[in-house]
Amino acid sequence: MVENARSINIAASILLIIGIVYIVGPLYLTLSTASQSYEYMLRNGLAWVPGGELFANMGKVINDTRIPIQMLNSMIVAFSNALATCALSFLSAYAIVYFRIRWAGVVFALILATIMLPLDIRVITTYQVASNIFSPLNAVLDVTGLNDLIANAFGAPVHLELSVLNTHFGLIAPLVAHGTGTFLFRQFFLTLPKDLFKAARMDGAGPIRFLFDILLPLARTSVASLFVLTFLSGWTQYLWPLVGASTPDMQTAVVGLARLVPDADGQVPDFPMIMAGAVLVSLVPLSMIALLQRFLVQGLVLSEK
Amino acid sequence: MTAIDTAIRAAAADIELIGVTKAYDAKTVVIPQLDVALRPGEFTVVLGPSGCGKSTLLQMIAGLERVSGGKILIGGREVQNLEPKHRGCAMVFQNYALYPHMTVAENMAYSLKVAGVSKAERAERVATVAKMLGLADFLARKPGQLSGGQRQRVAIGRAIIREPGVLLFDEPLSNLDAQLRHDMRVELADLHRRIGATSVFVTHDQVEAMTLADRILILNKGHIEQFDTPKAIYHHPASIFVAKFIGSPPMNILAVTGDGSALRLADGQVVANFAGKGSFQLGIRPEDITVKAGGPIKAQIRYREDLGSHEILEADIAGQPLRIATPFGAEIDPTSTLSLSFSQARLHLFDNGTSRAISNAFDQTKSAPASVKEYQ
Ligand SMILES: Nc1ncnc2c1ncn2[C@@H]1O[C@H](COP(=O)(O)OP(=O)(O)O)[C@@H](O)[C@H]1O
Ligand SMILES: [Mg+2]
Repeated sequence: MVENARSINIAASILLIIGIVYIVGPLYLTLSTASQSYEYMLRNGLAWVPGGELFANMGKVINDTRIPIQMLNSMIVAFSNALATCALSFLSAYAIVYFRIRWAGVVFALILATIMLPLDIRVITTYQVASNIFSPLNAVLDVTGLNDLIANAFGAPVHLELSVLNTHFGLIAPLVAHGTGTFLFRQFFLTLPKDLFKAARMDGAGPIRFLFDILLPLARTSVASLFVLTFLSGWTQYLWPLVGASTPDMQTAVVGLARLVPDADGQVPDFPMIMAGAVLVSLVPLSMIALLQRFLVQGLVLSEK
Repeated sequence: MTAIDTAIRAAAADIELIGVTKAYDAKTVVIPQLDVALRPGEFTVVLGPSGCGKSTLLQMIAGLERVSGGKILIGGREVQNLEPKHRGCAMVFQNYALYPHMTVAENMAYSLKVAGVSKAERAERVATVAKMLGLADFLARKPGQLSGGQRQRVAIGRAIIREPGVLLFDEPLSNLDAQLRHDMRVELADLHRRIGATSVFVTHDQVEAMTLADRILILNKGHIEQFDTPKAIYHHPASIFVAKFIGSPPMNILAVTGDGSALRLADGQVVANFAGKGSFQLGIRPEDITVKAGGPIKAQIRYREDLGSHEILEADIAGQPLRIATPFGAEIDPTSTLSLSFSQARLHLFDNGTSRAISNAFDQTKSAPASVKEYQ
């Protein structure tokens, strides 16, 4: 405590309470609405008092909507995103820190650039690439004039086409292309004793053994925290899943929740059911946070360094 | 010898470096050219200032750095293109480089595990080494729960457990405090006697070099200044660099001129008889100068430092600094001009251009024996 004056204490407490109300208020409203019936809401508007319809509403979500399958999609996307991000970041940081690679600095700078160009900015180009993952190759062939040569020789230019839109892979891959993890692991590796790699080589351990016997056990809390963070971010992604998946069965739960609000005018949405869905969809990340809080905090501290 | 003594015993291998060069890139040539042969079982200390290429040299022997040119032979086998694990070397690092997540026992046994040694034999070897190094009670601990000295012992245990023919040390004691460093020096010397592996020990600490080495290799900017026994290096330094590097306080180096009969300082004082002519650098150790009434050489005292066992006087002679070590209790008037005599048998003469020692410069045949007496 810098200051102990009574007036400052009171002011700080008031500020804190306002903050808590600001954050907890909507959560409370979500829960209380989710526990009331549609009729109650039609009669009374906002539900400030909790009712007894929570499980009935959740049952409606499970039986009448696509939320269950969409939660499965979310699970696949978030889990694969976390796993792939961890593996890729770990390996690229390993290569950058422990091997003398030509242009390692440039490579690292390019990886870092992805942090400054998040998916939200690149969403249109990402969509173009996802709609045909060979489009960059086609463009290169066109621009370099290679396609003209090929057209002359074989009668037709090369034009490959493969769309990954509306597939799990298409939902996951663009999320994985992100440099935060690489940066995190690089910073972590740099804090380890420099001679560890040499000591392991003297002990006869090659690069692969060093990776599994020494680096991975040492980095396990960092890996765990990155996993938790990317899982949560994958679960709560909105824009890319909205664009990248077109059929309800391929959409993720967060997108599905938004779609529960009917497009047609005039009809009052079934807010209790939507809120029950929101509660249901939040349960996975919430329980994850509760169980793996330790790693989450460590991850935040690490990425702040 | 006890049973422990014979349990870990290496088949010492000789090491030969032939025309070895190393450049990290075109601009950083660390070792221009190096030829050296180390005998089996010999304890060599590589001594030199920071950045002179000691670690680079050691890592080339170990196989952690590639040579840019030349050959390295260990036990007569060309190894410069082999992986570290095929060279039969083990290394102790300055910062221990222990695996933080493994226990002491796991740390020491890791190389055996990688090599596929059975669990039972690993445990047996770990027990032997731990007993040898006094680590038996710490086997279940992690490195983080050990003191600096214990960690260094684990690092040594990890190195010797495979009974390597060559043991490499890269400044292993520089992270320890003075007392511990002394104790570890004694232990290392003892360990070397018992294990008998050819050892190369890198340091910038001359005390470690003088006490541990069979022979000291003095490295300066990647080339060898001198490679000889500690005694020879102390008493017959081959260059000004060596003369200044060994000894504490270091040897005094004075610019002198030979006029055909004597060596004179800039102010005309004669410091020795000498038949040659020209400019030279004269070396004399602080302990080879005595302060005595009627001494023929005069100097102005600047500062005195009482170290208990002896005193160090800092003086000024013909515009050059001069350090003198006097025995405890010597009567010195700090205000007056000092009267000194240089021990004539212990003068060193160096060439002005090459900085190399001129051997037998004060040979009795060259200077008149009668007058030598005069300046003592
Ligand atoms: N990996 C490296 N890349 C480039 N230069 C290096 C590398 N390692 C060492 N050097 C340079 O080589 C020289 C000798 O280094 P080193 O062998 O570590 O010296 P010492 O161990 O004697 O202090 C130093 O100038 C250092 O900057
Ligand atoms: Mg070094």
